[in-house]
Amino acid sequence: MHERRRRRLAGAARYAALTLIFVVLILPLYWFVMSSFRPVEDIFRYANDFGIRTLVPTRITLQNHIAVFRSEFTRALFNSLFVCTTTVALSVFVNSMAGFAFAVFEFRFKNVLFVLVLLSFMMPFESIVIPLYSISRALGLVNTYGALILPEAANGLVIFLFRQFFLAIPRDIYEAARVDGASWWQIYLRMTLPLSGPTVAAASLLIFIHQWDAFFWPLIAASSPELVVVQVAVARNMSVDQTNWGVLFSSASIAVAVALVPFLLLQRYYVRVVGLGRT
Amino acid sequence: MITRRDVLKIGTATAATLACAGLPSAQERTELRVISLANWDERVTSEGLVKPIEAAAPVRLQVERIPFNQLMQALEVRLGARGPDPDVYIVDGPLTASYALRGHLLALDDLIDKKAIAPSAVAACSYKGKQYSAPLANTATVLFYNAALFEKAGIEPPSPDPTKRWTWEHTKEVAKALADASSGVWGLAWDQSERPYEMLPLGQSLGGVALSEDGLTASGYMDSDEFVRAWTFMQSFYNENLSPKGLFDIPVVWELFSTGKLAMMIGLTAGRDTFVKAGVPFGVAPAPYFESGKPVSTTGGWTFGVNPRTEKREASEAFIRALMEPAVQEQFLRSRPYPPFLTALWTRMSDYYSGDMWRIVEYDYANTAVARPSTPGYREYEEILRLALRDIQTGADPKSTLTAAARKTDRELRKYRS
Amino acid sequence: MQTKWWTPYLFVSLAMLGLFVFRFAPIGAALWGSLQETSLTGEVRFAGLENYTYLFSDPTFWNSIRVTLLFNLVINPLQVVCAMVLALMLVRPGPFLGVFRASFMAPMTVSIALTAVIWGILLEPTLGPVNGFLKWLGVPPQPFFRSADQAIWSIIGIATWKGAGYWMIFLLAGLIAIPRDVLEAAEIDGAGWWSRLVFIILPLMKRPLAFVLVADTAINFLMFAPPYIITQGGPAGTTHLLMFEAYQSAFTYFDHGRAMAISVIVLAMILLIVGLELRLLRPKGAH
Repeated sequence: MHERRRRRLAGAARYAALTLIFVVLILPLYWFVMSSFRPVEDIFRYANDFGIRTLVPTRITLQNHIAVFRSEFTRALFNSLFVCTTTVALSVFVNSMAGFAFAVFEFRFKNVLFVLVLLSFMMPFESIVIPLYSISRALGLVNTYGALILPEAANGLVIFLFRQFFLAIPRDIYEAARVDGASWWQIYLRMTLPLSGPTVAAASLLIFIHQWDAFFWPLIAASSPELVVVQVAVARNMSVDQTNWGVLFSSASIAVAVALVPFLLLQRYYVRVVGLGRT
Repeated sequence: MITRRDVLKIGTATAATLACAGLPSAQERTELRVISLANWDERVTSEGLVKPIEAAAPVRLQVERIPFNQLMQALEVRLGARGPDPDVYIVDGPLTASYALRGHLLALDDLIDKKAIAPSAVAACSYKGKQYSAPLANTATVLFYNAALFEKAGIEPPSPDPTKRWTWEHTKEVAKALADASSGVWGLAWDQSERPYEMLPLGQSLGGVALSEDGLTASGYMDSDEFVRAWTFMQSFYNENLSPKGLFDIPVVWELFSTGKLAMMIGLTAGRDTFVKAGVPFGVAPAPYFESGKPVSTTGGWTFGVNPRTEKREASEAFIRALMEPAVQEQFLRSRPYPPFLTALWTRMSDYYSGDMWRIVEYDYANTAVARPSTPGYREYEEILRLALRDIQTGADPKSTLTAAARKTDRELRKYRS
Repeated sequence: MQTKWWTPYLFVSLAMLGLFVFRFAPIGAALWGSLQETSLTGEVRFAGLENYTYLFSDPTFWNSIRVTLLFNLVINPLQVVCAMVLALMLVRPGPFLGVFRASFMAPMTVSIALTAVIWGILLEPTLGPVNGFLKWLGVPPQPFFRSADQAIWSIIGIATWKGAGYWMIFLLAGLIAIPRDVLEAAEIDGAGWWSRLVFIILPLMKRPLAFVLVADTAINFLMFAPPYIITQGGPAGTTHLLMFEAYQSAFTYFDHGRAMAISVIVLAMILLIVGLELRLLRPKGAH
């Protein structure tokens, strides 16, 4: 009896905390998504005089969203989604293989290569951007989708992620498979990857978000109008002397809404499957 | 209803179509990669820039629109690779000397008729006597005031007559009378309170000189008595709660004015359209000056330059020649209301540049405008001074902040000596 | 079956090819560039350690080091702890958890540049809704990014707003891999959960935690957008992070040698700290 009350109390406390965090995290998002439905003149009208009108629009309009979809933004959405999905597919494959090697094998120069992998994501992008641009130009990538996808295919952070999670898989099951005559390629493809759903999902999200947020590099290396990406299209609505808040907020909220889709799709990997404890 | 403006629009469009007929066909056009500004949206870029220039020169433009905040970085990376790309790019006027000295600009002397441009603009677009950038969109600042707040307080608003300009001393008294903390109304704000562009005229009004003659020394200039006095005065607006601290974004300051929470604003003429749209009752007057000094106003804006490594030099030069044609500039300026660089446009477009605001700007360009200091180190100068002005606004001691900033500027400008 | 000696190399080859072309080559160029001086017109000369000695004599640089270290000393543990708390709260089944999980991840879909812009408006002292809310509560308006005392904490706050849910994902993935009966002990419930958390769950979470801590450290050391967009390193240099100083060196002062030297120093600092973190979180018995 006492135990049950204590449990119920703990449950209530947990949900109270979850709700509080929910409000803190969501309110800022809510504010700008809601603002995007307001006529431009209303966006700041009630911002500083807090009241119900700060949070609930008195007049609702779709003019901002219509303006967004009439602009280059639709093209940008398509480009970004194409670049993101291609990169995710390529990058999960390339980097999980490397992560597998670092987790499973012993080989010469392994530690040197691993330190290099770590180094690759510790160098500020701004300081390698000029040589990177020269290399991309020499390879004929500038102003192609290749410039947006190829440089991001191999990613040290993702290799590191896969290595960390693959290390947790006991080696014995590999040895057993080896005895049965499986090649390492088969083991990687048929055992390691299927066992690593949440890891692959987390890596995919990492790559997706990294590419979705891409901004400065596309501006430099793929700046033709037909290659415009989401963050560039959003940023073009902010300017020194003429920020269109309505269009800025509506393009930003569409960008956020679309980016949320993969998170929702991959949700199931974060639900503990009852009765299916891992080895 | 067809307005006069519509008729003119149709007129220019027809002229452009007719001009097209006599020009080379699409196959003979050379494609140019142009870096421009994202501020100019898709419509302005196409109607105001691409179409008029393609109508006047055998080129096809591939325009990349870079957001203002990233323009500097993007240009540095692209030009820093020292390749042929881009062919033509947008140059923030005062940076002309910086790009020219670093070998990123082609001299354009034969392509630009200097007599057609305001003298302050000729100086701003040249380096060591040569013309390096072709001016397109000028800028100017005026004093906007909220007419309703003046009326409510029973205070006479400033006159639009440039010869009856208010003094700063009087302006501050009025700001005090109009500021009202209880209803959230501020007395006065600058829409670029951190930018030397808008803040230099205060010190210059007192007789201050921004930089040494050769443009390479800041100590004794940036921290001279005139500027210390001027910016201590500026700081007093913030200390006495007449101006809102820490508003550094132009659109945010305009928002404050649009919502009736700002009695007076020193701001870019471009703000007018926003205020008209917001429906705030406002008037325009010339920017104030110090009682003991002289009126000084702002000028300078966006220009275009040619990458000397371009493989399409002829076409790029044709672009510049076309850009300098009054008809082309007119179409651009009608799509985006900047004041003109070409003096002839004041009369040519008198239907457009009419009313108090433009009369003030025309007067100021002719009589009081001072270009920002001409130095290859303008970028360094501006950024260091900008951070100092930010700190002064939020309470730092003006004298010591400026002395430190001047010393830092000298250190950064040393590389240009030799 | 014998493993061929070249099998591991085959597995890493594609990734290494990509990294060599698009990362190591440019990084090599940057390292080399830190030993050079590029003149304004593009001529390059070997400068040895001049860029470094110049930096070490510059008080702005030392201020940046101090600010960067303080920032990271606070933000990295803070984000990892927040992420861990969120993950522990979500791992146990219950109603509506999907909604909470999705909403905790939502802030990370806002790009860091946009985060800076939006929070710049929200925390805007004069126009922003947050001060409006404080006023409504009867709390005096706060200067946030505009005061030397609050600016760096405001940046830490908005970065954590975006980051906590992001790092939670990887910790959730780690928690889910832990056998169910062991995990039960970690749930915030019952007496002694704290000691069970520390002695049973955390040791099993060392690898995911190592990943999160290392990745978080790298990302926060390289953070640049908030000071660039909101504070410009001010007020009075209190948010002048090293990456902002590197940006200024390259794009304001046109001093590429100095920018590269700062990047190399940032790299060295991250590597040193990451080395310590990996040592700290090394699973027992592993090498």
